[in-house]
Amino acid sequence: YLLCASGDFVKVYSVSTEETLSLMGGHADLVTGIQLNPHNHMQLYSSSLDGTIKLWDFMDGIPIKTFSVGSKLLALYTLTSAEDSVFVVIPKKGERDTFQLVSVKLTKGAGQDLESKEVSVVLDGVGASMKHIAFGREGAYVVSVKDVNLQVYFFKRKLLNRFSLSKIKTKGGDNHFSCVVCHPTEDCIATGHADGKIRLWRNFHHKKEYTYSTLHWHHDIVMDLAFSVEGTRLLSGGVESVLVQWHNESSCQKDFLPRLGAPIEYISMSSDGALCCTLHTDNRITIINSNLRFSRSIQGLIKSRDVKTGLVVDPRTKALVLNGEPGHLQFYSLQSDQQLFSLDIVQRQYIHEAGLKQSDLVKVAFSARGTWLATVEESEEVADPELQLKLWFYHEEAQSFVLNTRINTPHDNHITDMCFRDMDELGDDSLILVTAGRDCVFKVWVMVEDSDPEAQQSVSWSCDFVGSYHNYQATNCCFSEDGSLLAVSFEETVTVWDSLTWDLKCTFCHPPGNIRKICFGRLTCSKYLIGATDYGFLCCWNLLTCALEWSAHLNVVVLQPDPLSEHIAAVSWLSKESSLFVFKPNEPRPIYIQKNLCKEKILLATFVPRDEPETISSEKYLWLRKSQLFFLTDTQELMTLSTKALEERLTPSSKQLAVEESLPVTPFSLLLGKHRRQQAQEDTDLGKPVVLTKQEQASPAVKELLHTPAHVLPSASFLCTIFINSLLISKENKSAEEVADEVEMESEKAEDDSDEEDVTAMEQEDTSHMELLGEMTCKLSKSQEKELRRIRKMDYSWISAF
Amino acid sequence: IGCEDGSVKIFQVVPGGIQFERNLDRRKGRVLCLSWHPSGTHIVAGSIDFFRVIDVTSGQTVQRIMVNHQAEKAKRECVVWAIALLSSGTVVSADSFGRVQFWHWEQGTLAESHTISTSAALSLAVSEKEDSIVVGTSTGATYQLQLLPVRLGGLEKRWVRTKPFQFHSHDVRAVAHSPTALISGGLDAQLVIRPLMEKVQKKGYDAVLRKFTFPHRRLVSCARKARLLLFQFSQYLELWRLGSTEETGKDGEVLPLCQMPEHLVQLKSKGPEHIYCSCVSPCGTWVGYSTASRFQLYRVRCDGDGVSLRKVPKVPKLLPPAYQLQFSADSESLFAASARGSVHVFQLLEPGGCKHLHTLQPPSGCSEAVYLLAPSADGHWLAAVSGDWAIHIYNLKCFKHHCVVPTYDCAVSALAIHPSTNNLVIAYSDQQLVEFSIPEKQYTSWSRAVQSRGLHRTWLERDSPITHITFNPKNPAHILLHDTYLLCILDKSLPLPDDSALLMNQSALKQLPETARKRQLHAFKICKKFQPLLFMDLLDENCLVVVERPIMDFKTQLPLPVQQKKFGT
Repeated sequence: YLLCASGDFVKVYSVSTEETLSLMGGHADLVTGIQLNPHNHMQLYSSSLDGTIKLWDFMDGIPIKTFSVGSKLLALYTLTSAEDSVFVVIPKKGERDTFQLVSVKLTKGAGQDLESKEVSVVLDGVGASMKHIAFGREGAYVVSVKDVNLQVYFFKRKLLNRFSLSKIKTKGGDNHFSCVVCHPTEDCIATGHADGKIRLWRNFHHKKEYTYSTLHWHHDIVMDLAFSVEGTRLLSGGVESVLVQWHNESSCQKDFLPRLGAPIEYISMSSDGALCCTLHTDNRITIINSNLRFSRSIQGLIKSRDVKTGLVVDPRTKALVLNGEPGHLQFYSLQSDQQLFSLDIVQRQYIHEAGLKQSDLVKVAFSARGTWLATVEESEEVADPELQLKLWFYHEEAQSFVLNTRINTPHDNHITDMCFRDMDELGDDSLILVTAGRDCVFKVWVMVEDSDPEAQQSVSWSCDFVGSYHNYQATNCCFSEDGSLLAVSFEETVTVWDSLTWDLKCTFCHPPGNIRKICFGRLTCSKYLIGATDYGFLCCWNLLTCALEWSAHLNVVVLQPDPLSEHIAAVSWLSKESSLFVFKPNEPRPIYIQKNLCKEKILLATFVPRDEPETISSEKYLWLRKSQLFFLTDTQELMTLSTKALEERLTPSSKQLAVEESLPVTPFSLLLGKHRRQQAQEDTDLGKPVVLTKQEQASPAVKELLHTPAHVLPSASFLCTIFINSLLISKENKSAEEVADEVEMESEKAEDDSDEEDVTAMEQEDTSHMELLGEMTCKLSKSQEKELRRIRKMDYSWISAF
Repeated sequence: IGCEDGSVKIFQVVPGGIQFERNLDRRKGRVLCLSWHPSGTHIVAGSIDFFRVIDVTSGQTVQRIMVNHQAEKAKRECVVWAIALLSSGTVVSADSFGRVQFWHWEQGTLAESHTISTSAALSLAVSEKEDSIVVGTSTGATYQLQLLPVRLGGLEKRWVRTKPFQFHSHDVRAVAHSPTALISGGLDAQLVIRPLMEKVQKKGYDAVLRKFTFPHRRLVSCARKARLLLFQFSQYLELWRLGSTEETGKDGEVLPLCQMPEHLVQLKSKGPEHIYCSCVSPCGTWVGYSTASRFQLYRVRCDGDGVSLRKVPKVPKLLPPAYQLQFSADSESLFAASARGSVHVFQLLEPGGCKHLHTLQPPSGCSEAVYLLAPSADGHWLAAVSGDWAIHIYNLKCFKHHCVVPTYDCAVSALAIHPSTNNLVIAYSDQQLVEFSIPEKQYTSWSRAVQSRGLHRTWLERDSPITHITFNPKNPAHILLHDTYLLCILDKSLPLPDDSALLMNQSALKQLPETARKRQLHAFKICKKFQPLLFMDLLDENCLVVVERPIMDFKTQLPLPVQQKKFGT
C-alpha cells in the first residue's frame, strides 16, 4: 500500500494497481504528516493543522483514536524506541515563525477522543518543514537543520551539538540546508543544500573533529534525500526531475533515472526496500523499482506552471483539456479522475533552468465535433514572442491528433483569442478559425484543398481575411451560434462582422474600460451579445435593435456560456472572494447566485455536457440539468457545483450543503498545500506523507491451485468449479465487509457534519451583495465519499463480470 | 630501493654515505613504490597490476596480491602508484584507476575500496596516528580519508572519504601528512599546506592555507658594479647585462632605454645534476656554481662585444660541495658554505686562479650545513647561518670566530651586514626582524624597540618569508627587504606602526595633505607592484633592479592538465 496525505484526507493507494483503495477523512484541516505506528504496521498516525493526531486502521479506513494536542501540528515523527509518545513540530508560543520539536505523550484511555497535553520540548528553533528534521539510527539522536545551521541532539547523553556552515555564498554556491536524512544503521547524516550539494556528516558527536564529505551532481536545490533500508544507497532528487542513486557514499558510483517529468518534491522508500516512490510538483507519484526502473505512476490532474489555455472540453471524449506538462496538452477525464492522454504540442525538450525562455502552449480550440484542434504556442519573451499556430486533425485510426498545418508567426504579437466557427450541420467545409492578436488585427483562416498532388494530406489551412478596427488591439473573438456573425472586441469596442462577406455590421461600446470577455447568447437568446468590461460592467446588447438591453455592475472575471442551454455563468471577484451568477441574457435578473463560492480567485470556468440530463427536482439547479460547471482557481484546484447534495444518502440528521468542492482532483496540488498557505499564518510545508507497505492478497484456493505441482493436479474440468467457487465466495465476503465499512463511514460523516452551519438555508433570490454567508469550511468529505462509493461500485462490476 | 627490474635492494646508512647490504627477492615487474612496516619487519612493494609483501629478514616474498581482478575486463594495466603499510597489517594502495584500496595482506583480502577519482591516484601519505590518509590524484585534487567509527561509541571503524581539496592544476606527485596539516606538491610547481582546522588549537601561522610557488632561496645574483645579473635555472645559468637609460621621468613612467639589456652567455652544467647554488662576483668577472657533486668557477671576460668564459683550472675539490657561494665585496675572495658548519674561503687570483685560504668553523662544532652567508662590505666580517639556525660571525682579517647571535627558535630566511654600521640585519621565517651590532656583540636599540613593541599584525601574517636584504648607501636608516609578493623599504628613523594603522598606506598617504601625511608616516613603505618578485637589489644610488617571474611564463610550459568536464561549459 501507498499512503499519502492529500488535503484533509489520507489516501491509500494500491501499489500494484494504482487504484485508490480508501480515503480517510476526519481532520478538519490540512494533514501535515503521516507515519506508520512503529508497533503495529496496520496502524497509521496522522497529524493535522487542526491540532489533532489521529490513529487509524488504514486497512479499513477507521479512525481508532483521536488525540488533541492543542496547537497546530506541522510535522509528525514516530520512533520505535519511544513507547507511547510521538514527536511533532509546533509553533513556539508568542513568537512568530519559530518552531520547536516536542514529544507528545499519547495518553492511554478508553474513549475515542483523548486529550494529550503532556508535551516536552526536545529541540528549539527547528524548521517548519517535515524535511528539516530526521531521527537517527534506532532513535539515538535527532538532527534538525535550519538555514545554515545543523543541530544534533543525543537523547541518551542529552548532548546538543551545533554546526554551521559559512553563510557567504562562495563560488556562487548557497549553503542553505534543504533537507536532512539519517543513515539507518550508521552514524551518518546526509544533508541536501540549496546549491545542489549533498553533504555526508560523520563524527558529529565531536564538537570539533566532525567531518563531512560532499557529493555534487545536482545543479539546483536538492529537494529530498532517502537512504535505502540497509543504507548502502542514497537517493536524491531535485528540480532536474532526475532521481540520482549514490552507491556507498562515493561520488564516482552513481546511477540516474532521468526524465521523470517534473521536479521531485519528496522521495520515500518502502520498508522492505523493494520500491521507492517520488512525488513530483506536478501532482504525480512515481513508483520506482529497486533497480531504478520506472514501475508505474499515480496521477490525476497534472499541475502545470500556468494554465494559459483555459479550460476547454474535448467534444469527442468530454474530457477537460488544459496545459499539462510543459509543452503538453493534457486530456483529463472528469469521471475517472485520470489523465486520458497527453499530447505533445511544442515537441521540444524541456530544460529545467531558471531564466531560460521556454516555449509553451497558450491557446487551444476544438472544432465543434472535435475533429480539428488548433493550438498556439509562444516563447516566454515579452517583446518578440515566437509564435506558432498549429492545426491538428483527429486521425481515427491512430486515435490521436495528427499535425496538419503549422503556421509560423501567424500574428506579429501575442494572440489573445482564438475560436472555431461551430457549425455542426455544415460539416468540415465551413470550418473557419479566427485568431485575434495584439497586433491590432484578427485573421480568418480557412481550409484549402492542396493543389500539390505530391502532398500527403489533401487539405491545409491558410489565411483568408485580415480585419482590423481603428488600429486597436483585438482582445476577444466569438462566433454566434449559427455561425453567421463574428464578434471581435477591440479594446473598448465590440465589432460584429458578417462571416460570409466579412463586412463590419455594427459596433457596440460601453465606456469606460476595455472589453474583457464577450459571448453570444444561445438558443432562444441568440439575439443577445454579452460583454464584460474592465470597469466592472456586464452589458447585454440586442443584436436586432443594436441597442443596450441591460447592464449590471459586476466585476466579472469569467464569462462562460453553456453550450447546451441559454444560461451564462459569470464569476465575479470582489473583496477576496469569488461569487457565481447564472443568468439568461433575455432577463437582467440572475436565476442563481452563489456568494462566497471560494476564497481563491477563480480564473477559469467551463460547462461540461452531461452524458444524460440529470433529473433535478430543485428549481434553482435547473440550469445544471444538461451540463456541469467546473471552476479552476488560481491555485489550480478544480471545483464543481454539485446538485447531488439533495440526495438523501446520509442520515437525516445531517445537514445538507449546496455547494461542494468536488474532489480536489489532485491529491498533490493539495498536498503541496499552496492554497492553504494563504490562509495559514505560518508558512507550512507539508510532510512527507508517503509510507509504503505491501500485502499480498490471494484467495487460499487460488494459491493452492497455483502452488500445487501440475503433475499431481486433477483434471482441469474438476478444478474449474473449485476455482470459480472460490472466487464467488471471496466476492461475497468482500462485499459484506465493505458494506460494513460503509455503514461505519456514514455514521462518522454524520457526526462530522452535524456541527456544521446550515448553509443551504439561505435564500437566493435576493441580489444584494451584502448577504453574508456563514463561514464555509471546505467540505470535501461527501464528494470524496461519492468517489469512494463509485470505486466500490466499479469493484463490484468487475467481480460480477468475472 | 626498488628498481625497474623488480628487485628491492637494502642499503645501510653509515656515517658519510650508504652501503649496499643485500638484494631482496626479485620478481618480474617494475617496482614503483615501497613502504616499510613501522616495525621494520616487512616491506611492501607496488608494481603494475600487483603488489607484494616482502619479509625483510628472510628476503622472501610472503604475499603477492593482484589489484586489478575487478577491472580485468577493461584490459588496462593497473599501476600501483603509491602504497603504505600500516602497523595493523593493512596495506593501502593507490592505483591508476583512481582507487584507494585497503587490504589485509596476511589473508590477501580486500577490506575496502574507495574510488575517489576518475583519474589516477598518484600519491598517498598516512598520518602518524594512522587514522587519516591523504591521497593526491592526477586531476590536481587531493582527498582526505579518515578512519571513523561506524557507530557512536562502537568499536567498528571504517575509512571514509571526507574532504576534497583542489589546489593544483596538474598531477599531485607528492603528499605528506603532518599532525595538523596536509601538504601536497604537484607538477604545477606549487607546494600547498592545507591546515586541518579541527587539529589546530589556536589561530596562528599554522591555521592558514599556504601556497608556495618559488623556493625561499635566492636564485638571482647581481654584479652591482658591472651591472650584470646571473639567473640560476635548474640545469644552466644565464648571464645578462642590464640595459640603462639616461633620462629621468615621473613616477609610473616607462623610460626609453638607450642601451638594451643583453644576453651575454648561457652556461650549461654538465651531467644530469641540478645546479644547487650560483653567484656572480660584484665586479662581474667571476661566476661560480655548485651542483650536488661538483663546484665550478669561471672567469668572465668582456672584450668589447665579445664575451669569453673560461673555466678556472684546478679548483680545489670540495667535499661535499657548496650549499651557498658568496663573493666578497672587493671580488677578491669567495666564500663557500659547506657541511658541518664550515665555510671555505678561497682567494681569487688574476688572471684566473683560485687558492684555498682557510676554513672557518664554529668553535663548538656543528652537525648542520651552512646555508646562508653574508659578508660585510668592508671585508671584515662574515656571517654564516647553519641548519641549526645558529648564526656565527667570523672575523675575516684574522680568520677567527667572533661571536654567535643569540639563537632564535625559527629559521633564518635572509641576512645582510650594513655597509657603514656593520649591523647585521636578520629576517626570520616567522617574519620577525632583528638588528644585531657585530662590533658590540649585542642587539641594537632599534631592534630592542621593535621586539618590545612588536611588528604590525598584517606584516606578521604574510605568507612568504623575506628572501633578500639590502641597504641604501645614501641613507643608512633605510633597509630594503623583499619577499615573493612585496618589496619594502624599512625606514628606521620613522615610528613603527601600531595594529590599528594601515600597513599598506602608500596610496592613502598620497591623497593626504602634507601635514597629515607627516603624522601618518611609519617605518614600512611597501610596494606590491611587482609580483611574483624573485629578486631586488640596489645597483647604485638611483637605480634599483627588480626581477619578476610571471607565473604564466612557466604555466604555459607545463603539459596540458587532465581534461575534466566542468558543469556549465
